[in-house]
Amino acid sequence: MSERYSRQTLFPPIGNEGQGKISSKQVLVVGAGALGSGNAEVMIRAGVGKLTIIDRDYVEASNLQRQQLYTESDVAEKLPKAAAAEKRLKQINSDVEIHSVIGDATPEKLEELIEGADLILDSTDNFETRMAINDISQKYEIPWIYGACVGSFGMSLTIIPGRTPCLNCLLKKIPIQGMTCDTGGIIAPAVQMVIAHQAAEALKILAEDWDAVRTAMVSFDLWQNQYSSMKVSKAKDEGCLSCGEKRTYPYLQTENMMKSTILCGRDTVQIRPPKEREIEFGELAQQLKSLGYQVKGNPYLLSVDMGEQRLVIFKDGRALIHGTKDLMQAKSIYQRLMG
Amino acid sequence: MNKIIFFAHLRDRVGEESVTKDAGGKTIAELKQLLSEEYALKLDSVMAALNEEFASDDEVIKDGDTVAFIPPVSGG
Repeated sequence: MSERYSRQTLFPPIGNEGQGKISSKQVLVVGAGALGSGNAEVMIRAGVGKLTIIDRDYVEASNLQRQQLYTESDVAEKLPKAAAAEKRLKQINSDVEIHSVIGDATPEKLEELIEGADLILDSTDNFETRMAINDISQKYEIPWIYGACVGSFGMSLTIIPGRTPCLNCLLKKIPIQGMTCDTGGIIAPAVQMVIAHQAAEALKILAEDWDAVRTAMVSFDLWQNQYSSMKVSKAKDEGCLSCGEKRTYPYLQTENMMKSTILCGRDTVQIRPPKEREIEFGELAQQLKSLGYQVKGNPYLLSVDMGEQRLVIFKDGRALIHGTKDLMQAKSIYQRLMG
Repeated sequence: MNKIIFFAHLRDRVGEESVTKDAGGKTIAELKQLLSEEYALKLDSVMAALNEEFASDDEVIKDGDTVAFIPPVSGG
């Protein structure tokens, strides 16, 4: 094993054998925001074999306070987070195969990306995607690690199919999102603490030290000095539709229609067309300019200034409409401009 | 008596990290109902821990048990 990983192989629970295992594993990181940046960086530095990272958003100034992979020039260029993350991660470790995907982590997309993966690191900002990850994890028997934070509070849970309860056993349904999205912002140390919990568990799983895996849900509040560890083995529900005997994977069933989602605390609505399409930016930009809108862009996205709202369109037809929380208004703007 | 601990935004809403209540004999669901009314909390999708172990809504609290309410958060 090369000098590069010597401090990790000197750590007895990993050793050369563990490092060999880590370097043969593939990790899927879902989300490239605060948690995704940090988790991906730890995995890349630890020397996993391959890392896939998917994200639907692009880098903005308000990300820089905590999203450790990004710089001011990424903001200036409005780079998609997945593209900016790949660029930076390759600078950190050129030995690791890195695959970045600009897009929405839909159930279909997750089914495609799960192939060959040994572990899923949750770095999303919503429960809709987490429940889909949870179902994918059960369907393909791939462990995943839940992590989330808000304010100075954070939590993490390791879910191993066949060994632990799943997220659906614990939550039963998608929790109400509003209660955490717009409250109190987030401080970077809370992000870092969740990453530390998730990434440590990831290393145990990749090195196949199963006995060391934590079986409790951890939660903490760094500002209020609260820590808790909750054993979850009793939560295992035989009737669970995600991991029980009569499982149906309810969160992988998708309705075949345009989907709109209000993004967490962003005053933004995402619109996703029913089918991916390949947008010809040159032509669209011309059309929009002729309608009197200010249009800026890069190879990944077009940004259209519409006064109170701003529309950002990606290559696959997906759009973010900033400056509104109104789903109907957002849909009508999208349909008006995109047909 | 029972110590009831609140995490994240629940703590802010209650105004204290923990309160003491006589919840012996009540189920988790009944305690949730009681606290929802007293502090105007939304507890239906909040996880409950009974003596640091996950507890479902129908679990019965005994005198001296510690109950913690931990809201699942979504940020990331």
